[in-house]
Amino acid sequence: MNSQEKLFFNRELSWLEFNQRVLGEALDPGNPLLERVKFLAITSSNLDEFYMVRIGGLNIMVAQDNNQPDATGRSPSEQLEELSRRTHQMTTHQYECFNQMLEPGLEEIGIRRFSPLDLNDAQHQALSDRFDREIYPVISPLGIHADGSMPLIGNQTIHLAVKIKEENAEVPHRIVILPLDSPVPRFITLQSEDRHAFILAEDVVSLFCDRYFPNQEILECVPFRITRNADMRVEEEFSTDLLEDMSALLESRKDSDCVRLEVAANCSKQLLTELQNLFSVTQAFTYNCDGPLDLKAWFQIAGLRGFEAYQAEYWPPTNSPQIDLSENIFDEISKNDIILHHPFESFDPVVRLVEQAAEDPDVLAIKQTLYRTSSDSPIVSALVRAAENGKSVSVIIELKARFDEARNIVGAKELQQAGAHVIYGVKGLKTHAKSLIIIRREPQGIRRYMHFGTGNYNESTAKLYTDISLLTCDRILGNDATAFFNAVTGFTQPRGLQKLAMAPLTLRNRILELIRFETDRANAGKEAAITAKMNSLVDPVLIEALYKASQAGVLIQLNIRGICCLRPGVAGLSDNIRVISIIDRFLEHSRIMHFTHAGDDITLISSADWMPRNLDRRVELLIPVESETCKQMLIDALKTFVSENVKGHVLQPDGSYHRVSASKRDIQVRSQQLLYQRAVKAQQLAKQATPTTFQPHKA
Amino acid sequence: MPTKETVIQQRTVAVIDVGTTSVRMAIAEISSTGSIQILEHLSQAVNLGKDTFTEGRIHRDTIEECVQVLRSYQQILGEYGIHSPDDLRVVATSAVREATNRLAFLDRIYIATGIEVEPMDEAEVSRVTYLGIQSELERIGTSTDTVVCEIGGGSTELLLIKDSHVQFSHTYNLGSLRLRKAVDTYNAPIVQSRQLMESQIQRTIDLFHEHMPVGQQRHLVALGGDMRFAASQLIGDWNIDDGGVISTKALEEFTNDILQMSLENIVRNYELRVTHQEAETLGPALLAYLCIAKHLNVPEIHISGINLRDGLLQEMALEEAWSKEFQNQIIGSVLELGRQYDFDEAHAQQVASLASQLFHHLQPQHDLEPRFETFLQVAALLHEIGLFISNRSYHKHTMYLINNSELFGLGKTNLLLTALVARYHRRATPQPKHSGYAMLDRDNRVAVSKLAAILRIAVALDASRNQNIHTIRCFQNGETLILSTPDAVDLSLEQLALQQSSDLFEETFGMNVLLSNTMIDQRESL
Repeated sequence: MNSQEKLFFNRELSWLEFNQRVLGEALDPGNPLLERVKFLAITSSNLDEFYMVRIGGLNIMVAQDNNQPDATGRSPSEQLEELSRRTHQMTTHQYECFNQMLEPGLEEIGIRRFSPLDLNDAQHQALSDRFDREIYPVISPLGIHADGSMPLIGNQTIHLAVKIKEENAEVPHRIVILPLDSPVPRFITLQSEDRHAFILAEDVVSLFCDRYFPNQEILECVPFRITRNADMRVEEEFSTDLLEDMSALLESRKDSDCVRLEVAANCSKQLLTELQNLFSVTQAFTYNCDGPLDLKAWFQIAGLRGFEAYQAEYWPPTNSPQIDLSENIFDEISKNDIILHHPFESFDPVVRLVEQAAEDPDVLAIKQTLYRTSSDSPIVSALVRAAENGKSVSVIIELKARFDEARNIVGAKELQQAGAHVIYGVKGLKTHAKSLIIIRREPQGIRRYMHFGTGNYNESTAKLYTDISLLTCDRILGNDATAFFNAVTGFTQPRGLQKLAMAPLTLRNRILELIRFETDRANAGKEAAITAKMNSLVDPVLIEALYKASQAGVLIQLNIRGICCLRPGVAGLSDNIRVISIIDRFLEHSRIMHFTHAGDDITLISSADWMPRNLDRRVELLIPVESETCKQMLIDALKTFVSENVKGHVLQPDGSYHRVSASKRDIQVRSQQLLYQRAVKAQQLAKQATPTTFQPHKA
Repeated sequence: MPTKETVIQQRTVAVIDVGTTSVRMAIAEISSTGSIQILEHLSQAVNLGKDTFTEGRIHRDTIEECVQVLRSYQQILGEYGIHSPDDLRVVATSAVREATNRLAFLDRIYIATGIEVEPMDEAEVSRVTYLGIQSELERIGTSTDTVVCEIGGGSTELLLIKDSHVQFSHTYNLGSLRLRKAVDTYNAPIVQSRQLMESQIQRTIDLFHEHMPVGQQRHLVALGGDMRFAASQLIGDWNIDDGGVISTKALEEFTNDILQMSLENIVRNYELRVTHQEAETLGPALLAYLCIAKHLNVPEIHISGINLRDGLLQEMALEEAWSKEFQNQIIGSVLELGRQYDFDEAHAQQVASLASQLFHHLQPQHDLEPRFETFLQVAALLHEIGLFISNRSYHKHTMYLINNSELFGLGKTNLLLTALVARYHRRATPQPKHSGYAMLDRDNRVAVSKLAAILRIAVALDASRNQNIHTIRCFQNGETLILSTPDAVDLSLEQLALQQSSDLFEETFGMNVLLSNTMIDQRESL
């Protein structure tokens, strides 16, 4: 181990460890079966993105002879080598899980995948008819020219490689590709005695593919899937029309380099070699899959209606007792600051805030950042309505939000047409901060209502991700938020903010100051502690500050869901640091920090992970939560997270994760369940406290 | 959704200051009690000073940059529903004022944005700054003299405050951007360029030296972004709203450090807290403050977070910025000027007091805004200073002495108006051919006639120079204005003088004037 490796873990390998933990949930027989299927699909979806972005990025570095080592001293090619080994291992695990556990389990509960061999005559006939009617006409076979040039093969969609015999001694066969993208459904339902029977599209097309090639001999027909590099950016410095250039980027992503080839395990060596050559993929990133390709598609199976008994129990979001949605939301916020913990508590108040603002005659202006929105987003609709109602609406839409670019472009155009002022983020930086400002004229004067969040303005993901919302009308936060917004939109030069800290300007230093304060306290023999929750910890500067704090005696509890490059529990380096990762039904996404700060209990939420990209190349916010009640809620939540002993994994000094389990004496703490139960209880108590009154409609 | 009816008790206003290196805007709320709450501060760099101070005129590109900035500010104004011109004040300082193409600049801005930019002259800037800084001065204490200093890109403003009165105010041609340009022209090494700047600064110090001789105890209050930056670096918990104090020694060390650094290093060192433009002026500005602090021999410097925009907002908040307090400030500096010209102070004060009383009594007749009372008082106090030059046509000497002096709070137009009022206290009545008079617009010309008419009466009422009359009352009897006083014994001199000097009054107000020393109760009081 070199000296750097003693200090840090490689971020890519750490990420793969995270995916391994997710896979662990798919393997865990304690989870409901369809929940396990969902976790397997997540691992597959995660890997898809990992190849597109991370492996894609490393490939570009290698192609450019860029040997810049990572924090552990590994060169890009060394990293690629290790990642190849680790991902092959993981793919094997995925298919073992699928073949040995999940698919047999599914069959037991009546969800059965048929192979062509399983079909009875009636089913065969029905499929044949359906193929002729619906599938045959929509698939166009793509020929490969002798010079190797070929039509566009789409990213991450299933294709069939068909090897056809040629009566030519020199060229004994040719290859034709059948793309199985939409409108062909992946799962084709069958009439059967099973509760739910289906056959995969690739199996159906393989079965009848001779119909495309009458009187020709088909030697082999194998499904495959390629992944293209998506780590491409628009040269913003030179971009005069970012909207147009981003659209062009999306086009160019369609035929970028191939970074992964997946083929069915039964593919012949010869065909495999031909495909590898065709897409210029090495053996290191070719995966022979012992089962259906693209397990991500099994999300659909995991969510099948009628199988609720095998899915996770539904936890509908509760209505926070802090906010009465039957009242004017502005009045509610002006009473007290409000913290919402999603998805235990509903995201509705945030949507409602924008909707009310759009209609409220006293609202003058709305300013909002949008990073990832949902399709048909009610927030975007409300903003459009607000602009149509003559309010001044300014929106920073991040066109560079990876894989959401297309949706964001549509949203941007819609808003612009309604008369909103749309800004496509900041040159060279991604606007990742989540903030909303509403300027309202009230009898006492102008008042600004704010929402700050750790998650996106996306009511769909707000049901699946744990995130924090702060609703406030604090005057100084209002000044800061406005100054932040004006700076990001170029209306003013950035200036000092009183309460907020903003990346890339002051955020890292603010965190450093806070860590150093605890370090100084500990050095002086006083009590000092840091508890922080985030998705990823990569930033070497902050990690080293944490090491120093640990060495001084600061008690550091970290709840990091994904990548953690910090090595905890190493004698003399990080004895006082414990890192726990929670993988449960909701994706852990909130960023919360607590510093004892000599009894001040400084508590903050943030849009930023502690990664160089967030601290240096993104526009992010760090927001102090000052109301005592709100603070206490967050501190309690943090305490709950770090006491997790059901769905928690503790990071070991060697980089592996060990699942924590409650000893017999311990109370079981499953943090997500506990937090949900608390939210339900709070809602019930609030209901009991309100007397029932009947309000008749009067004539 | 129905909401309750909103009653607006607050006024949302904005001020924009087109400065030397940037265009800045402040949006604020002014409550019915006059308190100010700043809602937004915006600032965008536009290097007007660079154009004006090197080439004398503002480039077209720079004008367009200004247009863009103002347009973007208009969007923010819209967000606060600020649409009325009464709620927006846009001013420009030296970079625009001194540009040869300033009219083209103002026209272009107006055509492109509909915004009327008002170039502020030096006195106006001083007056507004003083308004902004009043509460700060109270905090520092009034027992010791205070020098307020702001070194801008193109000019330096200096106020000397004694016993809560502005005793002296002047704007000098010393500016941080001008210093930087001078140094750049010579392309001298660091040590020499410092000497070069110091010698320029010393020249300005020599100019104000006589008003602020060394050896007296004083406070020094520094305004301006450069000093605020120094404060943010030197004061641990610097808060712009509270201001702060730094020692002259600390400023010296900091200035030395800054002057040693290249511009790139300054920008890099204070990442994103200093723009390139700000870095250019930082060193020269700090050096100028330091030299002034050393000249005044002050151990420490008070740094105020107040800026021109605060003053402008204060003025909007006061509605009537010509407050009593402010008038006192002006009068304070006028008396100082009068003493320089050896005036008959008792007579001057008497005439001013009588003129003031008449102004109030005749309000329905002249219908002038309260600020004109201040001009009248200033003219009354100074009407005889021309005697310092010569007895012959001394009223003309009075006129040019006033017009060429720098009086705290009076801008160029107001100064001319005041000088004309003083001139017309005797001899010829206003004529279109008279120089100066013709330069005024119609409203101001009428005001001059009205004020001069009143001044003539006031002068006549102390013709004996014995200050016999303390209180006067006015009664109107048909077309005659009867002045009565309970105080006096022998008014014959005054009555005679009144007869000789009431022509202008009759011409202007259409009334004869009589002076009586009996109380005439049964007549209609004005």
